[in-house]
Amino acid sequence: MNRFLFIYYFIAVVLTTVTWGCAPSVPTSYKEAAGTVAVSPDNFGATLPPNIAPLNFHIMQGDASEAVTHLHSRNGGELIVAGWDVCFEEDEWHQMLEQTRGDSLYCDIYLKAYGVWEHLPTQRFYIAEEEIDPYITYRLIRPSYVTYEELTINERCLENFDERVIYENIRFEDSEQGQCINCHMPHNWNRDAQSQFHVRQNLGGTVFISGSDATKVNLKTDSTLSAGVYPAWHPTLNLIAYSVNETGQVFHTLDPQKIEVIDYASDLILYDLDANTVQHIDRTASEFESFPSWSPDGRTLYYIAARYTPRAEDIDADLDSNYDQLHYNIYARDFDLQTRCFGPRRLVFDAESLGKSASVPRVSPDGKYLLFTLADYGQFHIWHKSADLQLLSLTPDPSPMDEAAEALNSPESESYHAWSSNGRWVLFSSRRDDGNYTRLYISYFDSKGRAHRPFRLPQRTTDDDDLLLRSYNAAEFMVNPVQPTQRQLRKVIQSDARPAVYAGSALLHPEADSTAHTVSLPTERRSSTIAY
Amino acid sequence: MKHRLPFTLVFVVFAMTLLLWPLKPYLVETAALTPFYADEFTFGKLFCTHCGLLFQVAAGFQSCFAYPWLGAGLFVAVLVAIAYVQRWAFRVGDNWFGICWISSFALLLNFTQLGYLIYTLKHPAVAFAPALGFLAAFALIGLWFRLKEWWWKLAFLLLIPAVGFWLLGFFGVLVAPFVGFCEMGIARFKQFDEPSSVGKRSFRRPFRGNDTPHMLWGLALFFLGLLLPSLLQLVLHRHLDWETGHIPFGNLNREMRLPWILALAVPLFYAVFRLDGKRRWTAAVSAIVFVAAGAAAYHYSFLDHNFLNTLRMKHASEAGEWNRVLVLARENKQEPTRAQVCLTRLALFKTGRMGDELFTYPEGAAEYNAPQQNQWLRLMIGPLLYYHYGKTGFAYRWAMEDLVEYGERPAYLRYLYNVALLNGEDALAQRYERALARTLFYKSSVAHICASETSKESEFSSIRPLLNYTDQLDGDDGLVEFYLLHSFALSEGGSREMVELSLMNSLITKNLTGFWPRLLALLPTWQGHIPTHYQEAALMVAQLQGGAPVSDLPIDPAIGQRFQRLVQASAQNGDNAANAIALRPEFGTTYWYYYFFVEGLKTN
Repeated sequence: MNRFLFIYYFIAVVLTTVTWGCAPSVPTSYKEAAGTVAVSPDNFGATLPPNIAPLNFHIMQGDASEAVTHLHSRNGGELIVAGWDVCFEEDEWHQMLEQTRGDSLYCDIYLKAYGVWEHLPTQRFYIAEEEIDPYITYRLIRPSYVTYEELTINERCLENFDERVIYENIRFEDSEQGQCINCHMPHNWNRDAQSQFHVRQNLGGTVFISGSDATKVNLKTDSTLSAGVYPAWHPTLNLIAYSVNETGQVFHTLDPQKIEVIDYASDLILYDLDANTVQHIDRTASEFESFPSWSPDGRTLYYIAARYTPRAEDIDADLDSNYDQLHYNIYARDFDLQTRCFGPRRLVFDAESLGKSASVPRVSPDGKYLLFTLADYGQFHIWHKSADLQLLSLTPDPSPMDEAAEALNSPESESYHAWSSNGRWVLFSSRRDDGNYTRLYISYFDSKGRAHRPFRLPQRTTDDDDLLLRSYNAAEFMVNPVQPTQRQLRKVIQSDARPAVYAGSALLHPEADSTAHTVSLPTERRSSTIAY
Repeated sequence: MKHRLPFTLVFVVFAMTLLLWPLKPYLVETAALTPFYADEFTFGKLFCTHCGLLFQVAAGFQSCFAYPWLGAGLFVAVLVAIAYVQRWAFRVGDNWFGICWISSFALLLNFTQLGYLIYTLKHPAVAFAPALGFLAAFALIGLWFRLKEWWWKLAFLLLIPAVGFWLLGFFGVLVAPFVGFCEMGIARFKQFDEPSSVGKRSFRRPFRGNDTPHMLWGLALFFLGLLLPSLLQLVLHRHLDWETGHIPFGNLNREMRLPWILALAVPLFYAVFRLDGKRRWTAAVSAIVFVAAGAAAYHYSFLDHNFLNTLRMKHASEAGEWNRVLVLARENKQEPTRAQVCLTRLALFKTGRMGDELFTYPEGAAEYNAPQQNQWLRLMIGPLLYYHYGKTGFAYRWAMEDLVEYGERPAYLRYLYNVALLNGEDALAQRYERALARTLFYKSSVAHICASETSKESEFSSIRPLLNYTDQLDGDDGLVEFYLLHSFALSEGGSREMVELSLMNSLITKNLTGFWPRLLALLPTWQGHIPTHYQEAALMVAQLQGGAPVSDLPIDPAIGQRFQRLVQASAQNGDNAANAIALRPEFGTTYWYYYFFVEGLKTN
């Protein structure tokens, strides 16, 4: 027995010595270097939630032969990582962030080149007091044109790197008919485990998830342009406002923006989940309405609309030639919670007068700010390099806050965005990395209404982003994970969709509603699969 | 042994000759369509999908077709191994060894029969995945019969269905039911052969010395083999998808599935019929079957001349060997497909010989020898044509569409990379560069990795003049040739190269409206010699429309006299059909002949 104890002791000593010897340490002698080192992704300077997964990064090697990264805070905690791929141990990272709430986290990088250690200027993260919602959901899609394969709606835990597929379309793909899936939208950040997403073409319908159950509804009626497209859940009532769109894609021959996604007609509808009825909200014949969004109290519906006067009989050809003449403004309609009727519309933001076009209005959870995307024209801004996020103060009078969102933007497209449940974090899509593949960025939004420098969605390794030839699409925050399994969802999708019933207008004064569009036949270039 | 070597040698010579001689361009193209990436990112995901290991290894092997000798050598080695492993697994006697090659021939044919379908088959390794899968399955079946202890067999029964499906997909699942089937077969042998030798093959049977229990035992194994993977899947790896993508049938029609089914069926035959006889006639039957299998493999292999010639022309175009493209076009003895015609025209444009020679090359619209008349031109050379003609948006678009539809194939990444680089989208180009750098054999596509950065620049310099036009929104519906013809024919202005393309394409489309302005704009650039076809067109347009300044143009007198002969001859011969035949020998290579007599060509 004693002999075995000795052996165990010996092994323990050897292992400890080896481990201690291998543990990286901060160089004791070094010289100060000017300039900065290139890292990917470069998140330095960003404000981080205290519960975020480790912000691993890669140091570009250059002439150096060794690298040591030292992460430390004022209250004594430190993490040291050697090598070019800086991957922090999750528990230690979380412990460090917890200790550093409301304070700065410092990052020192030391590089050894030609036998001499150099210390690069200290970088900093700021750790916010407020936590971020633990989950996000998004679609992974190739930045494609009209084909679609292997689309997945995913759920990712922001506190670690766990990612799971909620639903993927490959099962129901065949050479005859594909299946598109899009717009997974949770209700109230999935607090009550309610969400919805669309299935197009093969086995099409809108899937409503409630707890671990799901149902499929066909929102297309004879009186509406299409099935529901861009959704907006009412915060308190069992209602969803949708846009209904006839959308198509046309292709640039030369411009690196590559695609124009154009609505050839669009309206707004209101779907009552309990009554299974669809009502029109806005179907002005000379206007294209889209991207509805509720205020947090549910008393106002914001949306975008563009005036369109056909210059030729062939609307498709006319819009293809004049796509850059379509400018969307932001409008709002008051909503009466008792009568469930909408009042007259009012202009909230006149983008047209600025020669611009607004899209995706989203009100902050405190109701004070409207975050939207502004570009030169159109409404599908992910393909527009001019697209930037803009803020509008809603109180007391709507006024633009040009500088407040400055930190969010880049020369490339910034587009689809979502507020966290506490209103302190903004999740948005950006093509800043290469102009083509959308990545998710998260920014702290402080109580003074100012967005801080964002950071890229943390990944286990840099390769996870660099080598992934897919885009993150239509991301939303969630406080709870989605419950049904893929198997359950597949079963629901294979079942027949319950048809929704058309129930007229949801306007307080329907007579004010001008003549509806004539529903035109879809043309070849109109597509049900768009990568927002 | 004396019977085995001749079979092996004959098979190796046959397969290597078939693959390396007529099918060499097909191998090279297959490699470019094989998505294999050798890095931690890919290997990290290896075990996340069913069949991940098999697909990854098979794709790695298949990407070696980029060097045809290497890829063909590996493929033939695997097929030879299949024959030997079958013999070992099922204890096939030497006299019956020829039968063991049926699966090898079938799996060779499974790949060589595809032709155009190689573009549309959504499978990462259509050649190697079934070959390696069958090899692994047969080896495991052989292992089963050599396991002596019951606990090893029990472990085998639990482990293979559980892990096999995960790593090998269908082929992993195949093993246990196959073993059960063979065990039932052993019961059958027992009725006709000496029991002692049979007894050695099975382990502790529940009821020794009784045939019916033995049959029941085999049956139980068979169903256990079928059920166990399903049950284990439910318990162990629920994230794996049981139903998709195990069998690389894809959009293959029924006849084309036969080789695959044959490769599977032959070993079942061993389970029913015992093939260890030593009579002389058995060797003869075996040899006949071997020869018949080889003949069938050759006969049903897709050796379509137009298909293979298009691939040769495409590869020469990608290498910038434009003169070789023209040699291949000239050597073609069949009516060409539109893909070949398009590649010929591109090569003529690149070599500056378009105006002198375009109508001297074979013209035609032969149908693609494929089960469906798909958009083969677009699938084969769409991005290549758009890229070289400066329609970079559409080159990128189709490379991306096909990447979405058929996977991250290097063939598409090359064009995504080239267009990004040409557009000045450096960060995007770097993303594709990283992807290409992860391949085994396509690193050289990346400008700064290979030594051909200057050749990339020279490629770009020939495309840049074609980018001198105003961007527009458009769509081609996949009709690449039609779109290119009309977009150039209807374009106005631009660089010298663009004006010449618009002149030539308006001649090809027989739209003579803008002929004179274009010709006159180009006149100073020709320095005295107007290319032959433009001279022919000038004479003809002047004759048809009148009032044109032909006398001011430096028209070659020989061409003028030839035109007069055409006018006289066509007046003598009567109707158009008679003229077409009579005038072809002398005027078949002129624009006049093309304008008046070449009709009904289906672009794309």
